[in-house]
Amino acid sequence: MNGVVFDIKRGCVKDGPGLRTSVFMKGCPLKCVWCHNPESQSPAIQRAVATDEVCGREMSVEEVMGEVRRDKVFYSASGGGATFTGGEPTMQFDFLMALCGAAKAEGIHVAVDTCGFAPRECFAALLPCVDLFLYDLKCMDAARHLEFTGVPNGRIIGNLEFLDSAGAKFWIRCPLVPGLNDSDADLAALRDFTRGLRNMEKLEICPYHPLGLEKCAKFGLSPRYAGMSQPTAADLARYNAFLRPREGCAPARPQAMNAPAGRTATGKECYAI
Amino acid sequence: MRYALRMERLTARKIEQTRVKQDRLGARDEDDYGLVLPPASFKVELPVRDATGQWSGPRAWAANFRWLMENHPCYIDPDDAIAGRWMFMLSRMRLGYQLSRSNFAFDYSHLEPLQKKYDITTGIGKDAHFAPDYQIGLDLGWGGLLEKVRAVRLKFSAGGEDAAYSVELMDAEEQAILGVQAWMRRLGAAAADRTMTEEDPERRANLEEMARICLKLVDRPPETLREAVQWIAVFNMASRTYNRDGAGGQLDELLRPYYVRDIAAGLITDEDAEFYCFCLLLNDPHYYQIGGPAADGTDQTSRMSYIILEAASKLKSSCNLTIRVWDGMDRALYRRGVEILLANRLGYPRFSGDKALVEGFMKNGYSAELARQRIAVGCNWMSLPGLEYTLNDVVKINIAKVFEVAFAESASWEELEANYRKHFAAAVKVTAEGIDFHLDHQYLNEPELMLNLLSHGPIEKGLDVSHGGATYYNMAIDGAGLAVVADSFGAIEQRVVDEKALSFAEVKDAVASNFEGDAGERTRKMLDSAGRYGAGGTRADAWAVKLTEILDGEIAGHTTPHGFKLIPGWFTWADTLRFGRAVGATPNGRRAGEPISHGANPLPGFRKDGALTAMAAAIASVQPGYGNTAPWQLEVDIGLADDERAVEKLMALMDGHFALGGTLININVVDAEKILEADRDPSKYPDLVVRVTGFTAYFNSLSPAFRQLVVKRLIREAV
Ligand code: SF4
Repeated sequence: MNGVVFDIKRGCVKDGPGLRTSVFMKGCPLKCVWCHNPESQSPAIQRAVATDEVCGREMSVEEVMGEVRRDKVFYSASGGGATFTGGEPTMQFDFLMALCGAAKAEGIHVAVDTCGFAPRECFAALLPCVDLFLYDLKCMDAARHLEFTGVPNGRIIGNLEFLDSAGAKFWIRCPLVPGLNDSDADLAALRDFTRGLRNMEKLEICPYHPLGLEKCAKFGLSPRYAGMSQPTAADLARYNAFLRPREGCAPARPQAMNAPAGRTATGKECYAI
Repeated sequence: MRYALRMERLTARKIEQTRVKQDRLGARDEDDYGLVLPPASFKVELPVRDATGQWSGPRAWAANFRWLMENHPCYIDPDDAIAGRWMFMLSRMRLGYQLSRSNFAFDYSHLEPLQKKYDITTGIGKDAHFAPDYQIGLDLGWGGLLEKVRAVRLKFSAGGEDAAYSVELMDAEEQAILGVQAWMRRLGAAAADRTMTEEDPERRANLEEMARICLKLVDRPPETLREAVQWIAVFNMASRTYNRDGAGGQLDELLRPYYVRDIAAGLITDEDAEFYCFCLLLNDPHYYQIGGPAADGTDQTSRMSYIILEAASKLKSSCNLTIRVWDGMDRALYRRGVEILLANRLGYPRFSGDKALVEGFMKNGYSAELARQRIAVGCNWMSLPGLEYTLNDVVKINIAKVFEVAFAESASWEELEANYRKHFAAAVKVTAEGIDFHLDHQYLNEPELMLNLLSHGPIEKGLDVSHGGATYYNMAIDGAGLAVVADSFGAIEQRVVDEKALSFAEVKDAVASNFEGDAGERTRKMLDSAGRYGAGGTRADAWAVKLTEILDGEIAGHTTPHGFKLIPGWFTWADTLRFGRAVGATPNGRRAGEPISHGANPLPGFRKDGALTAMAAAIASVQPGYGNTAPWQLEVDIGLADDERAVEKLMALMDGHFALGGTLININVVDAEKILEADRDPSKYPDLVVRVTGFTAYFNSLSPAFRQLVVKRLIREAV
């Protein structure tokens, strides 16, 4: 079986536990204004305007697994594995199922990074072959969620509650953009909602990074919000104060904001809080 | 925290000394070595020099060395637990000395045409680069060594003509020891003098103790920990002065008995022990190993290992400590080492992989017991303390040059591999002949007067270590330029054979013209963007493995024409610039004269994501596997270091590399911004220490071209 993959990164340290290989799958049902991978939204193979750089290539399950297998020794040493991300990996559901099944069969830890906007059955089917979901929660306010991502959040929250009740392990990842979804009320809502989840292992904040804007230009996509800014140190401190460090997790460290961008697989600087 | 202030003052003085060295000597692309400059008024007047400024033979070396030791300035720091600093390198005082080419009193012009053709660093006339067994000296002391040498001389003096060399060598050893003893006596006197002007009671007491120890150690072996570190430091300084030797030993095991005794007797606390180790490490960045298995396979980690590691952590200076990683180890020592590496960001400790080293060395026909004792005591190298003569890290074949010759001769892709194999075999042959030539003559050119003393055999047999004195001869030959050649083969195969996007002739023309003109540049870009070694699964990756097989095929299990074992490795040392200058453009898109690749590392940009796992796997895949190394030189930037689980991740990365067959890892944890800034204005960070390769150095003591290499190695991952 084949699917469209736009990147495979090895040695990722921030897309789940340990050292990981992240497989970036093309296509996403959302259109987040802050999207760090705008070129991933279309399911089609695309070409950069100026550089002729191609985004996306058709790969078979076996080809992807060939890449994933290369770092097996590092997964076992670090508690890492494979992370299927995107875009939104559930957009290529059969391909994703085949990949998760293949990795699982080889004893590789499987994480799926998802925006949660997919039919419930997808998540039910994924349950037995996924060790960890990295679940994006972008905004608890339904109206603004629709405004910023193009879809309402009801289904996303519903799926998350389903995973929680089914006993799945998950980390919540929350992209925060100053002025859009980081008000005290937003943070409080996020805090209150996540407190009610029994199986959440971790809540990560992903401060906005304007990386996506450059990519928009490169692939001739028009950004929908141009004026977004990176959270300041004060913003980060405020996030921390709200989303108190949970036991065993270090708080977000503002100084790390200065680190060169793009180190993480997704372009997000993630903080465990 | 009793010693905190003293440590601070000692460190500050070291930084100041480095600045002065930098001002007076200019940039030096090598180890800091710990030497300080002599007073400006000091004049070196060596007693033996011929009309051309040269000297050779035991007698001449001994006379010159003795003169240097007898007149060596006595550096005393009242804060230091150790007396003395070293200031000269006798081996570099011969007129016309070059780092890459030693003075040699014998003519090897018959070998030179081919050596030049393949840009071989011959090792002929190179000194040191094998390890002493300090235990010999710690047991005997200088007095005991002198007695031993005199007794052997007596034995040989009855031997007539046949024994003439042995007699001369023993005479020379005696002179060398007398020189060191004279210096020790003067150090003691200088420390005593210094007490007169010292007002601080603690420092005065320290100086009195220093004086007592120096005078005692003139003759007698050390009995306490402080005496032991002073003895080791004196040997190191003397050996440095003689010929830059920098090999250390299994430091925790060497010091442990003294520590245990002193603690039991209530003479010292752990704090004292740590301070003594701090002073030893500050005195000179010799290569020491801690941890790892003993000969019998039990773990050597002790309280002493931790004390040394903590001392190193407080050092905040150039240091070359290696932790041996193995299955039966105390993981806490390993973890602590990684923590220090990440927290201090000074490029140490380093880590070596026991499994591959032991299994590899055994393939040369040695036992596991012996293989375990072959420890990390050099830049890229392992050695059996006191048992082995190796020419480690000084014999190198620039395979980029070998490739250049083969490529020029090839009319088609089909011929290229065979031509490379043919020329590589020729390069190894002339290199091995050079090693024989060295082994034939070095004892007359430059005997190892200092290292002989701490080796098993040379004194007893009356033979220089380079000429039959050593127990084992395992001669190292390293290949240099792996990634350039693998990428060159890979780029041609991909673009010419697989994709047919270029013709072989087009590539040849473009390379011959150094990628001139628009067409040349287009070709260059296509070659440059082909899949690289290190990316995983590329043509170049397969070539890197094949090049290693070719390296092994010609070297491993082979001997020189005279029958000395050869062991292969991949290593460039700090010579990527020099090697690069000798090579024209290469089909990996590299322009003429640009540096070649570093050791076994892939070239910067080997993967878009710069994945460290990919790098770790690639370098593990090109291990020659006979007990010598193909080190992984890794720059980790602050991002990973900042992560709260960075220690685990780095350990996982290293464990994975070692499990795949890795041998040695040198890691720089860097702050990319700081390095870039220091490159713009070196004076801004006088204390910035980076790991250049096997050794660390102050960043501002490197030449601008060399600093560029360090800058380029920073992995800047672009998404
Ligand atoms: S869900 Fe992720 S990939 Fe999809 S649009 Fe939003 S940010 Fe982009």
